[in-house]
Amino acid sequence: MTTDVPTSLGAATVTRGRTGRGRGHRRRYQGREVAWAYAFVAPAIVLFAVMGVYTLFWGLQLSFVQWNGLTPTWLWVGLRNYTDLLWASPVFSPPVRAAALNTVWVMIAAPLLTVAISFPLALALNRARRFVGLLRSVYFVPYITTGIAVYLAWQYVLEPNGAINTLLGALGLGSLSQPQGWLGNPDTALPTLIVIMVWSAVPVATLLYLTGLQTIDPALTEAAQIDGASWWRVNLSVVWPLLRGITAVILLLNLRDALQGFQIFLIMTDGGPGDHTNVLGLQTYRLAFQSELAPTLGLASALGWMLFVAAVVVAFVNLRVTRER
Amino acid sequence: MNRYLPRSARTYLALATILALTGAVTGCGPGGGGDSGDGKNLTMWTFKQSHVAALQKAAESFKQKTGIGVTVEAITPDDAFIARTQAAAQTRSLPDVFEVHTNGDDFTFGAAGLLEDLTEEATWTDRYLPSVAAEGTVTERYFKQSQEKGAKSAGIKLNQRFSVPLTIGTFGIVYANKERLTAAGITESPKTWEDFVAALAAVQKARPQDGGLSIGFQAPTTGMEWLMQPMAYGKLGKAGFTGLFSNDPARNWTSANGRSVLDSYNQVTPYWMPGTQTLTIDDADLAFAQGRSSFVVGGTFTLAFLSQNGMNTENIVTFPVPSPKGGAVPELSLAPFALTGLSVSATTKNKDGAVKWLEHLAQTDVASQFAKDALDIPPVDLGGDPTGNLGPVLGAMIGSFGSGADAYNPGDTTHQPPSYDAAVVARSLMELTPLKKADVPTAAAGVQKIIDGYWSGK
Repeated sequence: MTTDVPTSLGAATVTRGRTGRGRGHRRRYQGREVAWAYAFVAPAIVLFAVMGVYTLFWGLQLSFVQWNGLTPTWLWVGLRNYTDLLWASPVFSPPVRAAALNTVWVMIAAPLLTVAISFPLALALNRARRFVGLLRSVYFVPYITTGIAVYLAWQYVLEPNGAINTLLGALGLGSLSQPQGWLGNPDTALPTLIVIMVWSAVPVATLLYLTGLQTIDPALTEAAQIDGASWWRVNLSVVWPLLRGITAVILLLNLRDALQGFQIFLIMTDGGPGDHTNVLGLQTYRLAFQSELAPTLGLASALGWMLFVAAVVVAFVNLRVTRER
Repeated sequence: MNRYLPRSARTYLALATILALTGAVTGCGPGGGGDSGDGKNLTMWTFKQSHVAALQKAAESFKQKTGIGVTVEAITPDDAFIARTQAAAQTRSLPDVFEVHTNGDDFTFGAAGLLEDLTEEATWTDRYLPSVAAEGTVTERYFKQSQEKGAKSAGIKLNQRFSVPLTIGTFGIVYANKERLTAAGITESPKTWEDFVAALAAVQKARPQDGGLSIGFQAPTTGMEWLMQPMAYGKLGKAGFTGLFSNDPARNWTSANGRSVLDSYNQVTPYWMPGTQTLTIDDADLAFAQGRSSFVVGGTFTLAFLSQNGMNTENIVTFPVPSPKGGAVPELSLAPFALTGLSVSATTKNKDGAVKWLEHLAQTDVASQFAKDALDIPPVDLGGDPTGNLGPVLGAMIGSFGSGADAYNPGDTTHQPPSYDAAVVARSLMELTPLKKADVPTAAAGVQKIIDGYWSGK
């Protein structure tokens, strides 16, 4: 059955399907019916207009003003918020630059580590013949439990007298333990948070790879094996290229999280110790809500828009690179 | 299913759907909490969870007296309180009464037109201690500060009053574990900074695992404002201290004075509790209450938290952060200032009722009861023997307050540049201690660069 959908309600003319009662019959909707249609579509349009279009443009406008969110009026400053964040202000630009550097490290390390761990894990799980359901459930647990409670639990594990230092001591590796805690040492805090981000991201990535592995025609891998390819060669030269699309999705999802997510940084360190784990998402939050009522909401909005542009560029580059290969 | 409904029902259904969705997206639907009361009952927002029960108790006696009910809502942490207020300011759904940071939030909210000017209504201020009675009023100094470029309180007018005090107190109080201090051979409270460092060393030596000093460095201002600044005031005196925040290289952090203060502050570095740089203020207090540290630095408000978390208050020794030997103020004391105040929203439908509520909380018996319930210090003059009203610990703390030029007043921020954000400066200072990533000259230069930025107004 086919139906020609009217291009606009204003036309209000529809050709019914070629089968059934209305075959070949054209009718014009009555004014009342058009009104009903508008009435039922209106909530969705209002919702989109308010939640989508209005907030988008309001937020963009906010990035050009100086405001603390309280006064009835704001001060138009044009592009100054952007220039202050990027280079002009000795107060605002240094923390943004430091946060950008940390964000770049997270953007490089978190997606790559996620792929490096989840792909072999998916291969192993795909080969498992026993306890398949149990194993897949176990590896999926970090995803369904990730949240504030788990981050707080990680804090306990990572503190000076926490489980990791205790374990290292018990194994005779006390020299590797961190006397100030893994989040207290400025040199280990960011890498530790990246590891926890990877721990949270691996389950979904593994699931995506598993889904991909199960769509690969076994004949392809069997043919390679018959030709003498080793297990490593099969996976690297046959399976990995076939899963390139999934790898692109995983990289993109994790890049987006690394660029814009800040929940883990807010809860576990609040950017500390000092400023050593501050990232751009957290810096945006600080400018909006932690600046002691200073008129920095516009700066927060400007930083948010720069993050948006960066996210679009990263997504575009990522898609281009994976498509070209 | 729709075709089985009568036409009128369909009409109503469509209208109800549209209204419900429109209401939901604009946030104007009924029942959105936090809006001004119904004209009879009042709503009040506070950012102090520990004040809720005490305020509710005071509200009971207020209702008996006036028939006006008060609903108290805590919104924590501070950033959530700010975000909620920002949203309510735009939708004009503010509560009737706010608890605010005195000489801070109240001036910013007042400048934005969110608060009533209480100059005429606050007729009971003679009940407050003279040193804090005027707090919440725009004095000459605060007015001048508001006119600087980038000031958060731009728009306030001289002599406007946007709040009356609710609690008073001060920062810069060291809490020490009495038993551990005694066991380490320290029988008297340290009188100088050097004595304090020696006490830290002695307890640390006796108890390497839990003998350290905790402070909630996840809020980086704690180390700077609660520990270093009182010491710096004692070392340099008022003029020298305020000069640190100037853009004059001969007086600011990069000067000999500034480096000398940082040298002294750096002396505590070996004695921090391991991991203190990751702790929140509550975590640091909790570490002390649970015996994982032997010292904690806080304010008068810290006592309530320690007590609520099981610390035996008889096992606590408190003393103000002491002045270094040879300092400009050898006997440093701490001046009380209004920590929090009460403000009336400009959108209240019951201004008279709100003002009566503020006056009720300033009555001696109500304030005393509030203080005992909240373990916080009231601004009301309780006479010569506060111990009788508030108990020995709170009473002793009140007795230790100082006044005059020898008393450090952390609430006086008029020497700071406009739009000064202490957290940004304090994060930089953490590179010196506890993180040990910068030496004194580097840390001084880092701090000064930020302060110069604030002075430049960029």
